[in-house]
Amino acid sequence: VLRLFNRPVSRRARATYRWFDERTNSTELIHKGLYEAVPEKGGWAYTLGSATLVLILLQLFTGIFLLLVYTPSFAEAWPALKYLQGSDRFGSWVRGMHLWGAYVLIVVIGLHMLRTFLSASYKRPRELNWVTGALLFFLVLGLAITGAMLPMDQAAYWTMVVVTNIPHYIPFIGDGIRHLWRGSDFVGQVSLTRTFAIHIWVLPFLLFSFIGAHLYLLRRHGEFGSWVNYGTVSGDPEKELGERLVGAEPPYPTRRIERRWAVPRKTVDFFPDQLFKDTVISVLLIAIIFVFGFVVGAPLSEQANPATLSYVPTPEWFYLPLDQLLVLSPQTYLIFTGVIVLVGLGALAMIFLPFLDRSRERAPLRRPEVLLPGLFLATMLVLLTVLGANRLYGL
Amino acid sequence: VIAVPAFPLLAASTVTPQPVPTNLFSNSAAVAIIALVHVQIATFLTGSSFLVVVSESISMARGDERHERLGHTLVKGMAFLFGFGSALAILWVLWILLGMWGTFFIALTRITFWVFIFEAAMFAVEIGLLYTVYANWERLRAYRPVRLGLLVLLAVTLWWQQFFIDVIASYMLTPNGGDTNQLAQILNPTNLPLTVHRTVGNIAWAGAILAGISAVRYLRARRREGRSVRVSDPPRARSVGAMSATWFTGSQPAAAAHASAASETAFWDWAGVWGAVWAISATMLQPWIGYSYAKEIQLHAYPAWYRMMFGDLSNVFLVQITLLGLIFILGTVFFWRRMRASETRGTRTQVLMLVVLVLATLLAATPARFANTYAEAVASGGDRPWWDGGLMNPIGTMIPNKIIALIAMMLCALVSVTSLLRAHSRGELRWGDATRRSQWLLVGLTLTTSAMMITMGVIREHSRQPFVVNGEITIQGQHIVNAPPPVNTPDENNP
Repeated sequence: VLRLFNRPVSRRARATYRWFDERTNSTELIHKGLYEAVPEKGGWAYTLGSATLVLILLQLFTGIFLLLVYTPSFAEAWPALKYLQGSDRFGSWVRGMHLWGAYVLIVVIGLHMLRTFLSASYKRPRELNWVTGALLFFLVLGLAITGAMLPMDQAAYWTMVVVTNIPHYIPFIGDGIRHLWRGSDFVGQVSLTRTFAIHIWVLPFLLFSFIGAHLYLLRRHGEFGSWVNYGTVSGDPEKELGERLVGAEPPYPTRRIERRWAVPRKTVDFFPDQLFKDTVISVLLIAIIFVFGFVVGAPLSEQANPATLSYVPTPEWFYLPLDQLLVLSPQTYLIFTGVIVLVGLGALAMIFLPFLDRSRERAPLRRPEVLLPGLFLATMLVLLTVLGANRLYGL
Repeated sequence: VIAVPAFPLLAASTVTPQPVPTNLFSNSAAVAIIALVHVQIATFLTGSSFLVVVSESISMARGDERHERLGHTLVKGMAFLFGFGSALAILWVLWILLGMWGTFFIALTRITFWVFIFEAAMFAVEIGLLYTVYANWERLRAYRPVRLGLLVLLAVTLWWQQFFIDVIASYMLTPNGGDTNQLAQILNPTNLPLTVHRTVGNIAWAGAILAGISAVRYLRARRREGRSVRVSDPPRARSVGAMSATWFTGSQPAAAAHASAASETAFWDWAGVWGAVWAISATMLQPWIGYSYAKEIQLHAYPAWYRMMFGDLSNVFLVQITLLGLIFILGTVFFWRRMRASETRGTRTQVLMLVVLVLATLLAATPARFANTYAEAVASGGDRPWWDGGLMNPIGTMIPNKIIALIAMMLCALVSVTSLLRAHSRGELRWGDATRRSQWLLVGLTLTTSAMMITMGVIREHSRQPFVVNGEITIQGQHIVNAPPPVNTPDENNP
C-alpha cells in the first residue's frame, strides 16, 4: 500500500499518511486484512459470505435513505411512501432496491449456509462460526418480516395482524408476547412504533454484533473451504501433512482440529485472487438489485383499512412454507405442535448443528445422518413454497 | 385394396351416437385394468428416467461400475416396457376413449386440444430418445457426457409428458365451471399439487419396482451361488452335481463361476437397498404433498373432497392410509434385517422406529365412524362419540390424530433411512449378506406400493362420480351434453 503512495502523490500527502499510520497502525491492519491465505479450490463458492456482507451494507444504505422520508405513524407512513414513490426523483428506485436487496440477501445467505453445510465447515473448531451465522440468518428473516409490516398499506397491515398473532399459539406466555408486541390486544399505533424500533434498532444492533463476531471467528480459524482442499498426493501422507503444517501461511494451521484438516494443500492470497472473485459476484448481485429495483420496484397497495373484510393477506415468498404449514394445521393445538414446535425444533437443530453432528467426516456422502435430514428439510421447504404459491397466487 | 371401395360407403353412412355400454366388463373392469396397468407402466418409465440420470451421474463422477450397470439395466427395462406400455396406451385411446366414450373424448379433446398436442409431441420425442439411448448404450460409452445429456433430455421429456396429462386430469376433477381457456387449464388449482405429487410418487414407484426386481434377481443369484459352491467342492468324476453345476454356470471354471455368482448377489443386494432407499425417501415426502392436494380439492371441488373424507370413499381412504403405513413398516423391517445381516450398529434404532410406525399406522387406520358414511351415522342418530352410545370415533379423526400419525410416519421413515445410510457410510454393510427372507419384504414393498397407487386412483376417479369432468360431463349423459338438442315431438309441445 505504501508503494502505491510513493510515486504519484505529493510528499505532504505521504507525510500525512505516515502520521496517521504511526498512530493507528493502519498499514499493518490493511496488510493483515488483504494478505491472508485462503484455500485454492472452490474460490467462487466462498464469495457468498462476502456477498452477504455487501448486501447487508447495501440494505443499511438504502434503509438510511428511506428513513429520511418514512414516518412511523399509522396515519402518515403510507402517505410518506406514496410521496416517495410518486414525487421523489429516485425514491421509487431506492425503495425497490431495498426490497429486492432483501430478497437477494435471503437467497445468498441461504446458499452460503448450504455451502457451509455441504462442506461441513461448521465442525470443530468452527462451531461458533456456524452458530453466529445461523443466528444472522434468523435475524435477516426477522428484519425482512418486520420491514414488510412498515409501509402500512393493506398488505403490511394484514401481515402485521397475522404475524403478531403467531405468539398467541404458544401456551401460557403466548398472549403476553402478543400483547407486548402489539401494545394492546389489537394492532395499532403502538404496534407500528414497536415494530419500527425492532426493525431499525434492535435487530440491526444484534445483526452487526454477530457480523463482528462472525468475521473475527473467520479470521481466527481461517476459511475451511471444503474437503477437496485437504487431500494428500504423495505416497507418505503423514510426511506430507507434516511439511504442510511447517510451511503453513497465516491464519493456518487451524488450531484444535485433526491434523489432516489443519492446512489446505494449496492456498492463494485473499488479495488479489479471492477479492477479485468476491468483487465480481458482489457487483453482479448489486447490478441485479439495481435493475430489479428500477424495473419492478416495490409494490404499495392501497392504504391500510382495518375495517375491510375482503382483503386476502398473502405472505412474502420466503414465508410461504410456514404459511402452508399453518394452512395444513388448522387447529389451535395442532398449530402449536405441528408448526411452532416443529419449526422451533428445526431452528434449534439448525443453530446447534455442529453439536449434533460430531462425526469426523467432512465429505457430504460420508455424512448421511445429516445430509439426508438436510435434503428432506430443503425439499420440504421447496415443495411447501411451490404448493403455497399455487394456493395463493394460482401458479 | 379390399377396404378402399368401402370408404365412400362408410363416409356416406350416418353414424348415430350409441349409448355407452354399461356392462361390467366393458365400462368398469376393462377400463380399470387397462387404465391402471397403463398408469403403472407410465409412472415407472417417468420415475426410472430420473433414477437412470442419478446412476449415470454417479457412475461418471466416481467411476462406479455398479451404477453404470444399474443405469443400463433400467434403460433396457424401460425400452422393453415402453413397447408394451405404448400398445396399451393406444388400446386405451382407441378402444375405450374413442370406441366406447367417443363423444366424451372428442369433447374433451376439443377442450384440451393444445394440451393433447403437446403431450403427443412429447411422446414422439420420448420414442426417439429412449430408443437412441437403448440401441447405442455401448457405443455412447466413449461419449459419456452425450449419453448423460440424452438421458437428461429423456427425463425432462417424460416429465413434461406427465405434466400435460396432469393438466387434463386436474381439469377433469376441478374444471372451474368448465373454463375452456387452455392457459387457465394449465393454471388449474389442482394441477401443480398433482404434478408435484406424481413427480415424487413416480420416483418412489420406480424405486419400489427396482427393489422388487432386485430381490427376485438376488434370490436367483443366491440359488445359483449355492449350486456353484457345490462345484467348488472336490469334484467327483461324472457326478450329477458337477454336471448340473456346469449346466447352470456354462463352461466357466468353478472358481470363476463362484466369483461371478458372488458378484451377482452383491450387485442385486446393493440394487435392492438402493431401490428401497429411493422408495421410502420419496414416499416420506408424500403425506404433506398429498394433504396440500386434498386441500386444493376441498377449496375447488368440495363435493368430491367431501365424498373422499366423509362419504363412502372415506373407507377406501382408510385402506390407502393403512397401505402408506405398511410401506414404511416394510421398508423399516427390511432395513433392520438388512443391517442385522451385516451386524451393523443402529439396529436398535430401527426396532424403535418400527414400534412407533406400527402404533402410528394403527392410529391412522382407525375409522372415524362405525358407519359407511358420515351421513348414515347422522341419519341413524349416531352423531356422537361411541362411548355415549353413538357411531362416531373421535380417536380416528383426520385432524389432529391422523395428521399426527402421518407426521410420526414421516419422521420415523427419515430416521430409519438415515440410520441405514449411516451404517453404509461407516462401511459396515457387506453386499451379498442379505437373507433370503428379507428379499420377500422388498417384494412386499413393491406390491404394497402398487396397491397404494391403485387405491389412490380409485379414490380420485370415483370422487367425481357420476361425472368424468366434474360437474360438467357424465359418461352416460355424454350425448345429452354434446349432441344437438332433440327435435320436439308434437306431443311434447302439446302435452
